[in-house]
Amino acid sequence: MPPNAPTGFDHAAALAAIARGSESELQRLYQHEARFLLGVAMRIVRDRALAEDVLHDAFIAIWHKADSYDASKGEARGWIYAIVRHKALNLVRSSLRLVPADEEVIEAIEAEHAVASLADAFAIEADLGRLQGCLERLDTAKRNSILYAYVDGCTHGEIAQRLQSPLGTVKAWIKRGLASLKECMS
Amino acid sequence: MTRESDRDELASGYVLGTLSAAQRREVEAQLLQDAELRARVQALEAQLLPLTRLAEPVEPSPSLWPRIQASLNFAGNSLRQGWSWWTSLGLWRGLTAGGFATAAVLAFVLLTQQPADTRFVVVLAAPQDQSPGWVVQASTNRQLKLIPLQALEVPADKSLQFWTKLDSWSGPKSLGLVKPGQALNVALDQLPPLEANQLFEITLEPYNGSPLNRPTGPVLHIGRAVKVM
Repeated sequence: MPPNAPTGFDHAAALAAIARGSESELQRLYQHEARFLLGVAMRIVRDRALAEDVLHDAFIAIWHKADSYDASKGEARGWIYAIVRHKALNLVRSSLRLVPADEEVIEAIEAEHAVASLADAFAIEADLGRLQGCLERLDTAKRNSILYAYVDGCTHGEIAQRLQSPLGTVKAWIKRGLASLKECMS
Repeated sequence: MTRESDRDELASGYVLGTLSAAQRREVEAQLLQDAELRARVQALEAQLLPLTRLAEPVEPSPSLWPRIQASLNFAGNSLRQGWSWWTSLGLWRGLTAGGFATAAVLAFVLLTQQPADTRFVVVLAAPQDQSPGWVVQASTNRQLKLIPLQALEVPADKSLQFWTKLDSWSGPKSLGLVKPGQALNVALDQLPPLEANQLFEITLEPYNGSPLNRPTGPVLHIGRAVKVM
């Protein structure tokens, strides 16, 4: 079983049934994936109500677009996660992002990330398969930059702030880090 | 023609999420016609997908699935092909923000975007802040559908009851009990056909409905029927 498929749920078969108009299959997909997808959206939009809006819109999109899923272009589970991530990213990149106005929240974030460029910001406890080894080969700053962007939905500017490093340096870390990852994975 | 290194940078920025809103829109437009860019995005999505497992799972609230289901039923199978305005995030955000303007815009959108056979539309809004809670659609004047726009929390010892009243009637007549977050089809067998300006309301009643032949609890949402031209 691929490391990223935690159970035997057949995402491609679910999408095929949804494309034929099966609402019960959509519900089965929801029951199987909603908590993981909501977790992904939450990390990016950082607000429960907004994350649930993202999931709502994502499931409506899955319903409408299931018939456009093409198995030759990648696995079905990835197609579903990409819809959720891009909806979440589009939301936070639009001007609607709710900035936490609460000073305590901001201070907590700053304290948490004060030494982030030196230490690992992410405890990688999940099994990431081959990607894991490749990530571990990156130096900490590159790894943190990539994970802040992908998992937390940070902009270059936000990453620079969290890692207390210049913007240009962060951009270079991400570019070189991704290049190493791609090479390692291929 | 986009250069290879530009493509790589766009694909990386798009998949990682570091692009601005405007850049994301550009990439999304370009993805439709640039197969090379599409291939790069898909390859990177596949490589980075395991990272989604770093986000801790979050249990969705119980009202989320009913809300999705209501949107699907609302959109209807005939509209399955296209993107529907009522499923857009902006609209939902507007609705929860409330305000009479939103109700008016919603009514307008309903009127202009409905399937051609819709004869009447009612937006039921909260009396305090005019935030819309339900929509009534009727394709004939004998049959109507009540559609939830938000999942209400109803105490276990209470029920929601749906009522209608014509100005000429002395009091409202019950159209039955309503479950929060669920659509309801109502046949107007025992009542005169629907009319423009007919009043509809949802009230909070004791469990299993009002003990009298009129509402006894507070009005949660109220609105009048508008005839579709």
